[in-house]
Amino acid sequence: MIRYALTRLGLLLVGLAVASALIFLSLRVLPGDVAQLIGGTQASPAQIAALRESLGLNVPLWQQYLDWIGGLVRGDLGTSLLTGTPVATELLDKAQVTAPLAALALTVALVVGIPLGVMSALARHRAGGTALSVAAQALAAVPVVWAGMLLVVVFAVWLGWLPPQGFPRAGWNDPGAALRALVLPAVTIGVVEGAMLLRFVRSATLQALGQDYVRTAAAKGLTRTQALLRHGLPNVGLSVITVLGLQIAGIIVGAVVIEQLFTLPGVGRMLVADVAARDLPKVQGELLALTGFVLIVGFVVDLVHRLIDPRQREAS
Amino acid sequence: MLRRTTLTTSALLLGALLLTSCTGTNASSGPTGEPNPDATLTVGLSLEPSNLDIRHTSGAALEQALVDNVYQGLVTRDGDQNNAIVPALATEWSVSPDGLTYTFTLRQGVTFHDGSALTADDVVTSLQTAKDDATVVDGSDLAGVSSIASPDASTVVLTLAEPNINFLFALTGRAGLVFKNGDTTNLQTAANGTGPFRVNSWNTGQSLTLARNDGYWGDKAGVAKVVLDYIPDRSAAVNAAVAGDLDVALEVDPELQSQVADTGNFTIETGLTTDKGTLAFNNQRAPLNDQRVREALRAAIDHDALIDTLVTGQKLGGPIPPLDPGYEDLTGDLSYNPDHARELLAEAGAENLTLTLTIPNVYPTSIPTFLVSSFADVGVTLKVESVDFGAWLTDVYQNHDYDLSFVRHVEARDFGNWADPTYYFGYDNAQVQSLYAQALTTTDEQTSADLLAEAARIVSDEDAADWLFLSTPIAAVGTHVANFPQNSLNVRLPLAGVTVSSE
Repeated sequence: MIRYALTRLGLLLVGLAVASALIFLSLRVLPGDVAQLIGGTQASPAQIAALRESLGLNVPLWQQYLDWIGGLVRGDLGTSLLTGTPVATELLDKAQVTAPLAALALTVALVVGIPLGVMSALARHRAGGTALSVAAQALAAVPVVWAGMLLVVVFAVWLGWLPPQGFPRAGWNDPGAALRALVLPAVTIGVVEGAMLLRFVRSATLQALGQDYVRTAAAKGLTRTQALLRHGLPNVGLSVITVLGLQIAGIIVGAVVIEQLFTLPGVGRMLVADVAARDLPKVQGELLALTGFVLIVGFVVDLVHRLIDPRQREAS
Repeated sequence: MLRRTTLTTSALLLGALLLTSCTGTNASSGPTGEPNPDATLTVGLSLEPSNLDIRHTSGAALEQALVDNVYQGLVTRDGDQNNAIVPALATEWSVSPDGLTYTFTLRQGVTFHDGSALTADDVVTSLQTAKDDATVVDGSDLAGVSSIASPDASTVVLTLAEPNINFLFALTGRAGLVFKNGDTTNLQTAANGTGPFRVNSWNTGQSLTLARNDGYWGDKAGVAKVVLDYIPDRSAAVNAAVAGDLDVALEVDPELQSQVADTGNFTIETGLTTDKGTLAFNNQRAPLNDQRVREALRAAIDHDALIDTLVTGQKLGGPIPPLDPGYEDLTGDLSYNPDHARELLAEAGAENLTLTLTIPNVYPTSIPTFLVSSFADVGVTLKVESVDFGAWLTDVYQNHDYDLSFVRHVEARDFGNWADPTYYFGYDNAQVQSLYAQALTTTDEQTSADLLAEAARIVSDEDAADWLFLSTPIAAVGTHVANFPQNSLNVRLPLAGVTVSSE
């Protein structure tokens, strides 16, 4: 087990190193120049050159990369070219919106996906089950943006129950308002992700229902549902954990989109604004932090999977 | 003998200007109750600044938020009075008859937000830095200044190498802003100016909050706080206004304006701007270096129909908008005539033409869609390349790598771009250049305006570009808000005179 964890940790580090190089290079290929953006449409080439020099953009690329990696090793994600604020500080600040949003969205996804997925599998021969499955199929195909706009129209504009956009300026000092601001965005992401989870849980449950051990348990006198709940679901749970690892990445992507739509001052909106401003040191720090988070989630999921699955545990 | 622009107690005058400027034109939006000095004014805007460093960072968003509100120069301009130049940190000024020496009398009793007094030295240093430091935005506006001095504590004298009729106007821009000498404030995330508001807090990605400066030299601001709420999504902004989260919404999506108006809580207003929706032709590149091709493309555009599509906007026939000197109504030259366009293209041997339009993705897709079908009608295939603004700056502005480009040129008095062959328009006409140079160096405003008008006519006659429209953005102003400014709000948003009544 320890050997497995160490190998997996090694893979994680390799993944991060590769990601850092990819992020760094892809951002340098991106057309656009922060000096030109700072200088604007009235700046002369000489002014742009002066700006590039003062921003340290004339340093060779390999040196910029090494400087960045050197900082990372010391735990420094970098500094914004435009505001001079450390990237880590900005990320922590914006995570106060994005982390609760992601947690809420995940909760919604779980609440929607797991019970309904199991129910839809159990009721697969009845009209309700088919309807659920079709609805999930349709929902999973809905773009997050569209789902968000629809929810805003119904719950914010027509019914006026929830704010249509924005986050209280007082932030979490006004917990009620902050929570209300996150409900619609979280439901938007959660329902779409939950629909995908539902379909996955449904097929995993169906597979479990067809397993010999469920049939055997049923033959011993349990009802089919009891057999499934007692013996089938632990197996379903294992595969759900794996899928959840992937869905957390999906939720983060969803958050980037949804924060634009709902004007939430979170990591996603900051990232989009920083890309637009070509504040590359900041963007690369943010992207690496997000990539690192997803990779770490994958790492943890693999470890948990290993720990709770007796077959894998014994194999190692 | 000096030409004197003497102004009586200018604090009073400025206050009066601010008050009269708006009530004259939009009396309908008068207050319904007594102004509440403790009120907070929340204004919804679309474009957030990337930092607060107004000296070194370009972009209309920064000017809009900070100039006049937080930072001031010796003089400023009043958008609602035809961009007239009005006093700010100078109480009065005089210009020598040869147009070379500008003498400013410094206002006394002005303090920065940190409490320190404004000195002539602060003014001299600020202007000198703007002139010398290439990284100061619009610092080149002061390139013609040969000396900046303060003979005594209340006088600043600027000497030019040659006359520049735009010089006072340039001083109303960023180059003329006055900063404290040796300021230790981190100006990227905070501010220290002399204006009627202090920067209170900046929640990036959300809002910028200004608070009344109680030590202000002039009339104190009408509201205790101003919140500039940055909402990039147009429909989210409308929803916020409808939900009552905003007192004023700027740049309201024209298609959605009725939603805001129907609440009964807002007056819909449109203001003039110097924001020219410019369809640039790459004058250096075949086949657009052929005047007939450019003329054909202009004749293929039905400007009235385009403006109907966009819901708001005015026709603009040439490079100079109504708020700038040298304006002349050239819309008569715009004639929608697809047949003539086809003839011209045939004459130029440019049939079955394929052109690419490079357009930043912040603009509504209705513009490129309209152009694609207009040009298709005369046999020109238009490919649309939608890029982000950063990519546009590199590809089009810097590298001139484009056929057609669309951006909104918001700056006032930017005709000089047509007299600069190295600008991305690539328009090179010696006569225009000479007329522009004369217009700048003459000391008579009318002569200057006439020369500019003549130059603008040539630019339009040669079809150097097409001006699709002049932006007249829609503002939804709460019925409880009074004295809200009207014109050029996309570059200047002076809020000191605005009041909010308690409902």
